[in-house]
Amino acid sequence: MSRNTQKSNSPLRFLIWGYIVWSLVPVMIAVIFSFNDGRSRTVWQGFSFRWWWQDPNSSVFQNAEMRNAIVNSLVLAISTLLIVTPLGIALAIGSQRIRGRSEKFVQGLTSTPLITPEIVVGAALLLTFTRLFTAIPLGFAAQLLGNVTFSLASVVVIVRARLVSIGASFEEAARDLGATRWQALRFVLLPMLWPSVMASLVVVFATVIDDFVITSFLSAGVSSETVPLRIYSSVRGGATPALNALATLLVLTSFAVLIIGLFGLSTWRKRHGERGGLRAALADVTQINS
Amino acid sequence: MDTLHSGLTQTNLKNSPRLWAGLAIPGTVWLIALFAIPFYAVACIAFGTIDPIFRDAVPQWNPLSWNFVQARQIFSSLATGALQGVAIRTVVYVVSAVTLSFLIGFPIAYFLARHAGKRKLLLLVLIIVPFWVNYLMRMLAWVNLLSVDGLFTRFMRVFGVNYNWLDGSPITVILGLVYGYVPFLILPLYATLERLDWRLVDAARDLGANSRQAFRLVTLPMSKAGLVAAGILIALPMFGDYYTNDLLSRSPSTEMIGNQIDFFLNASSQPQNGALLVLALSIFLLFFMSFYLRSTRQQSKQVTR
Amino acid sequence: MTNESFRPMGRRDFLRNLAITSGAITIGGSLLAACGGSTATESSGLSIGTPQNPIKLPVTTDAIADGLPNESGTLEILNWADYQNPESIAIFEEKFGCKVVTSIYDTEEAAIAKLRNGTFKPDLILGMTDTGLAKLVAADLLQPLNKSYIPNFGNVISGLQSPYYDLESQYTVPYFIYGNGIGYRTDRIDKNAFAGNGYDILWDAQFSGKVGVLDSYRDTLAMAMFRAGNFDGNTADAAIIQKAGDDLVAMREATNPKVDILAYTEIPSGNRDLNFTWSGDLFTALQYLPEGVAPDVLGFWYPEKTVAKNDFMCITKNAKAPVLAHQLINFLSDTDNALLNREYVGYQPALESITVDLLISSGTIPESLIDALVTPEKYDAGLAQVSLEPAVDALWLEQWTRFTAG
Repeated sequence: MSRNTQKSNSPLRFLIWGYIVWSLVPVMIAVIFSFNDGRSRTVWQGFSFRWWWQDPNSSVFQNAEMRNAIVNSLVLAISTLLIVTPLGIALAIGSQRIRGRSEKFVQGLTSTPLITPEIVVGAALLLTFTRLFTAIPLGFAAQLLGNVTFSLASVVVIVRARLVSIGASFEEAARDLGATRWQALRFVLLPMLWPSVMASLVVVFATVIDDFVITSFLSAGVSSETVPLRIYSSVRGGATPALNALATLLVLTSFAVLIIGLFGLSTWRKRHGERGGLRAALADVTQINS
Repeated sequence: MDTLHSGLTQTNLKNSPRLWAGLAIPGTVWLIALFAIPFYAVACIAFGTIDPIFRDAVPQWNPLSWNFVQARQIFSSLATGALQGVAIRTVVYVVSAVTLSFLIGFPIAYFLARHAGKRKLLLLVLIIVPFWVNYLMRMLAWVNLLSVDGLFTRFMRVFGVNYNWLDGSPITVILGLVYGYVPFLILPLYATLERLDWRLVDAARDLGANSRQAFRLVTLPMSKAGLVAAGILIALPMFGDYYTNDLLSRSPSTEMIGNQIDFFLNASSQPQNGALLVLALSIFLLFFMSFYLRSTRQQSKQVTR
Repeated sequence: MTNESFRPMGRRDFLRNLAITSGAITIGGSLLAACGGSTATESSGLSIGTPQNPIKLPVTTDAIADGLPNESGTLEILNWADYQNPESIAIFEEKFGCKVVTSIYDTEEAAIAKLRNGTFKPDLILGMTDTGLAKLVAADLLQPLNKSYIPNFGNVISGLQSPYYDLESQYTVPYFIYGNGIGYRTDRIDKNAFAGNGYDILWDAQFSGKVGVLDSYRDTLAMAMFRAGNFDGNTADAAIIQKAGDDLVAMREATNPKVDILAYTEIPSGNRDLNFTWSGDLFTALQYLPEGVAPDVLGFWYPEKTVAKNDFMCITKNAKAPVLAHQLINFLSDTDNALLNREYVGYQPALESITVDLLISSGTIPESLIDALVTPEKYDAGLAQVSLEPAVDALWLEQWTRFTAG
């Protein structure tokens, strides 16, 4: 920090803490109201676990539809991970190394989904699945394909960043020692990609479990209703604080996965002698290098 | 330090395109089938015909037989007709929301990058938290606060402000967009500012520039590309947003283009109009998207060089 | 509505040609053959029954055989939100050893589009009305009912046992009845505010931001027509449709209404002062009143001349559990079950035994909502809303877009 920085930053300090309060407190209030004893999501009537598990019909853990939504969300997120991770890693390596005319095409194709508004992707896929690829029914199958398509690009970006930082020297060394190209890839490069794979898992899981637009456009009624869809359709209705509890659960799930991921990343780093700690792990999952 | 590129292309990995192509093929095919072709399908539906009984879209797969009757109608409606209001409103809301987001986000990113000191990691974590809180949960939180007997509404009543926030108010929708997207602006802004060579700013100050001049003449030009890219990054999803609006307003007087797309595709029997609006929106956004892709590619080149 | 409104030969032939050339409507042709002698309008191949010209709908498949065992497993329902009592469903599940899952729709036309494109694949549809029936039949989405599974059919209001839209109730069994009017807060709006042209209050700028209308283009455009004194809610007159659109735009500018189907939560919560809606919503609203708010804050203005109708239950052609679907129709047509269902839904079951007097004597209906009940007289005087010819439908939708696009 240089000399002229201390004097003028107190309004900024005020602003940043104000911002943090503004961005977090409403959510905390919503979480608190999931413990409301009354039916209202806005007027406090005492503390209880009524909407979490005590109410036999309407609490999150006892209401069949909410449980169904939770299961659907988890199944969709995990299935997406299983497909998108290998697909994305392969595409990241391949797209980074092919040359010639196809290079530009593939790179354009992989980066465009990342910035295309979700509604455009969702609408295009909806029209495609109902008019062209009619063998794929709306519902879980379509949602899975849609989410893989939309999150493929983020895996590619994360893995590619790692590829760049690893460089080619390790593979070259392996080749010099007589490894085949495939062996060098399999036994040298892939293990080194692990942090980016773990970061992708976290990012994709969080993206899919939070996804609303694509999942909603490609849903087929209650059989494929996920938690965000449930939240969306009930926010403006007469929903009880069980809805807050459901949303809280969703947030807790994302954070659990994030924390496990961050912990895993920093342990891996430590064990492999890379520097970093929490900050590097954060950079992995946010793709912001600091 | 483009070791990977040069290493791979110039030395012993040079003659191995087949392995790399093989790795790239599954993902590429996937994206062609489920990203590129769907856009073609949208065009075929937009320029197809309508089933006379159900008003459902009948796609025309042969581009030579595309018919533009409905397209002309929708596009002129966007320009001068019933949908003109929606088009203008969408642009006004997004521009206002992006501007406000900058007013909030830039000082915060600046502070984080330059003055955060020992607290930097803590602040960074706290700023990243909303990233991981579901968007709908964040909107749900505000719906609860802003409803007639919500805490915020009651709080404001103490000051004599009796406003129905959720009754189709453009202010609520714009602030909702800001609240929803500003975290996604702060991080890229922070990354841009963090990367700047601040010694140049200090040099300018040493040479007699006041802080405003240093900002205008040094900081801003150096960070311009990153700022624009970050702005585009949040503007793109805002242009297609319909759920913020739906949750915070649900009034015809605040309809944006995303709401119309959602309406035509999900709540009506006229998907062709929906396809046409998707097409119109995509064409409009293509400009921003290509600008963004170009500027980030340049940035990453600068980084790797 | 009479046949006259669809007379222009040019358009009729044009539509039929389109149907044939696009190859989309083979059903249209067969329908024409199947009901060539019937009295209904058939200019596009849609079978539209009206009170003046009741229709016996064409049948393309057989109903299920008698005496089949109940399926085990899942029964899928497509229904409006909050339009069935979870408790009733739980009893049904236990009694029949099955699981019931429910998907939600919020406009009839979107539901039909989604049934056609495979988004929804339910066994049983609840709450559709005659405005959508012709399309459901033309799209070949329904299967005829086997009444041997529905002994309680005899409980249905006798006048609805062979309704004009489906003579002999081949496909449908009535579910609830209701009329269109304005729900309001008695603590904020006086009953006398509806003297004169009661609809005008929706255009009254002093209620700006406190108003809602139905997200149903048929109901809300028809409301604007009634306000202007045009009482044909199925009109093909382009000028009248255009005027209704103009009037709704004017309403939007005056009162900035919400367009949804949430009157039953938004009026009791106090978010709205008034809402053009279905009468039954006010009874649903009773259980959404915040604690400590008296039920008589809810009021309903029932216009003298308005739409009064019923919706119905029907089974899809590709139902995976058709027997269970029949059983649920029968279950809900039982008087006691219907009363239990009503406790949650609020609407009036379309059963002969559930009279207005019975409901009033149950003590659950506040004085202020007596007007919202549909008496037999009101029902008989009610205006019908039937399916529109596609070309006319397009005019209605065009005006609706003008309104909703703001």
